[in-house]
Amino acid sequence: MKKVLLIGAGLIVAAGVTGVLAQKKWTITTVVKITGINWFNRMEEGVKEYAKTSGNNAVQTGPAQADPAQQLQLITDLVAKKPDAIAVVPMDPATLEPIFKTAMARGIKVITHEADNQKNTLYDIEAFDNVAFGANLNKRLEKCMGGEGKWTVFVGSLGSKTHNQWADGGIANAAKNSKMMLVDAKQETSDDADKAYEKAKEILTKYPDIKGFQGSASTDVAGIGRAVEEAGLNDKVCVFGTSLPSIAGKYIETGAVDGIGFWDPKDAGIVMNKVAQMVLEKKAIKDGMNLGIKGYEKVSVTKGPGMGKIIRGSAFVDVDKSNYKNFPF
Amino acid sequence: MRSLLSDHHLRFLIASLVVILVAAAILSSGQFLDPYNFQSMAVQVPEVGLLAIAIAITMISGNGGIDLSVVSIANLSAIVAGLIVRSSLGGAGQGTLYAIAFVVIALLVGTACGLVNGFLVSKGNFPPILATLGTQFVFVGLSVALSGGPSVSLGETEVFSQIGNGVILGIPIPFVVFILAVLGFSWVLTHSRFGFRLYLLGTNAKAANFTGINNNTIMLFTYTLSGVLASIAGIIIASRASSVKWDYGSSYLLIAILIAVMGGINPSGGWGKMLGVVLASFALQMLSSTLNFLGTSNFLKDFTWGLLLLLSIVLTGTRLSGFVKPKPVRDS
Repeated sequence: MKKVLLIGAGLIVAAGVTGVLAQKKWTITTVVKITGINWFNRMEEGVKEYAKTSGNNAVQTGPAQADPAQQLQLITDLVAKKPDAIAVVPMDPATLEPIFKTAMARGIKVITHEADNQKNTLYDIEAFDNVAFGANLNKRLEKCMGGEGKWTVFVGSLGSKTHNQWADGGIANAAKNSKMMLVDAKQETSDDADKAYEKAKEILTKYPDIKGFQGSASTDVAGIGRAVEEAGLNDKVCVFGTSLPSIAGKYIETGAVDGIGFWDPKDAGIVMNKVAQMVLEKKAIKDGMNLGIKGYEKVSVTKGPGMGKIIRGSAFVDVDKSNYKNFPF
Repeated sequence: MRSLLSDHHLRFLIASLVVILVAAAILSSGQFLDPYNFQSMAVQVPEVGLLAIAIAITMISGNGGIDLSVVSIANLSAIVAGLIVRSSLGGAGQGTLYAIAFVVIALLVGTACGLVNGFLVSKGNFPPILATLGTQFVFVGLSVALSGGPSVSLGETEVFSQIGNGVILGIPIPFVVFILAVLGFSWVLTHSRFGFRLYLLGTNAKAANFTGINNNTIMLFTYTLSGVLASIAGIIIASRASSVKWDYGSSYLLIAILIAVMGGINPSGGWGKMLGVVLASFALQMLSSTLNFLGTSNFLKDFTWGLLLLLSIVLTGTRLSGFVKPKPVRDS
């Protein structure tokens, strides 16, 4: 009897050892703000691609309603289920602080995206430096305008941190060129295409010689594009801004909008999972590191507001009439 | 126990709970039965469970009773309490005083909101669905105006965060609060004069009036209680999320109504037990956690919840319809 027990124990130990020696498959769950919208469907493509290439068990989930409470409940269940890591795009970072703390106490690695004010995270991933992104948009605008003329910039709201950073980046870039004349800066559009349309019409009436618009909310360029098109100024006025092909595509096609910028959620999905894997493999992510994804070849790593760090890529995607159809979201 | 099983709704709910639990245990190969998972579900139930009780008592009061403003009251009371406490006690104490002040202010705001609803419904004689729909928007508007839109972080609060995140003897504190509220309301509904009058009012307002009951007072009291319950939910939410926001739980209203109805509360008034509401909230939570465990789409969650409600209506419907309208008397 003893012998049998010993052999049994031996087998169990052996099984355990080989289990550890074989490359461990990690379970990484990505939680997005809401399921079923184009942006996060695109992100899921990235998560699936990561799962396929890495062999890890990576899946994406998210609440059916855009409600921070639903996201919190979902993550609470996940923490009970105990995956190796969670990669979250928080609906509202403040709401998730306590559950992230609990998750980490339970040994789950926490990675976030679009939450540079999150305290309880190991790494927060930002696609780019917002000021640099705004400056890049403005450089394209400047080129389109031939380097001179009146221009203005819209923001969704003056309270939106990212919108203001983008606008400020643009303004700083234009300030280097004395021929670029900024007029009526930072008009608020409430993230509403109709408001942007009204504001653009006002500006076109007030400054008939205006040559450039820079938008911040994803709906801004759509509103501006409509106003420009109605005024028959497609070729005379340059319009650039943050937006998506699904929103601005129509106006890019007619030339009312000359170009847009954004970041590809698919790449962000892959990077979040890669970073999670590196954390699980106890590899540190260092400043200047190459994460192997376009736009994240030389990331900057800085200290975050809490215990974690912020990883910033330069993953902005420049899109115009020639390539907007490659991005179906 | 015999009375438990003789009630259609309770029987249906207990059966659903058993089926879900067994299915979850098998499908997750036992992982679902981890005690931590039960703790985690117990943390999640109270928020929407308390809102469901609030809606249940307004439904019992009859006259088309419902309180659509519960979620907005929860958020408004938490936002007012959060803003006041943070500015007056924020730096000095994250301790007991902070927690007590938050709770007291939130309960006061909840009472005030409930009183407004109560006056509109009783003295104002407005249909509850319209009155509370109106106040819902007013309360949401106030919340946005006061907080400015983004969430107001409460920071690291030692004592206050225990309300939402602490554990007593392995049981999460929010769950203890929920169970205490349930026991309290069960007692009030079955043993107090108020409870008796509430059911009478819900069954037949005219008859209740003729027996000398002041219907307006009962209504006022009911909607005020609903406001208080909502603010307790608000306190738990604020503590659990360590922040307050005007649109937190915007999806909770319909779920709370669903729980109340599935729990056997008659939407036409006069009938319903607290135990039914509790079991229904457990069933929905367990279903939702099971689906999250299995990693299915969250749209499936809404679908299964709806299915469960339909099943409950179909399987227990005979009794309900009997209460809504009297059965025709057959001549023989």
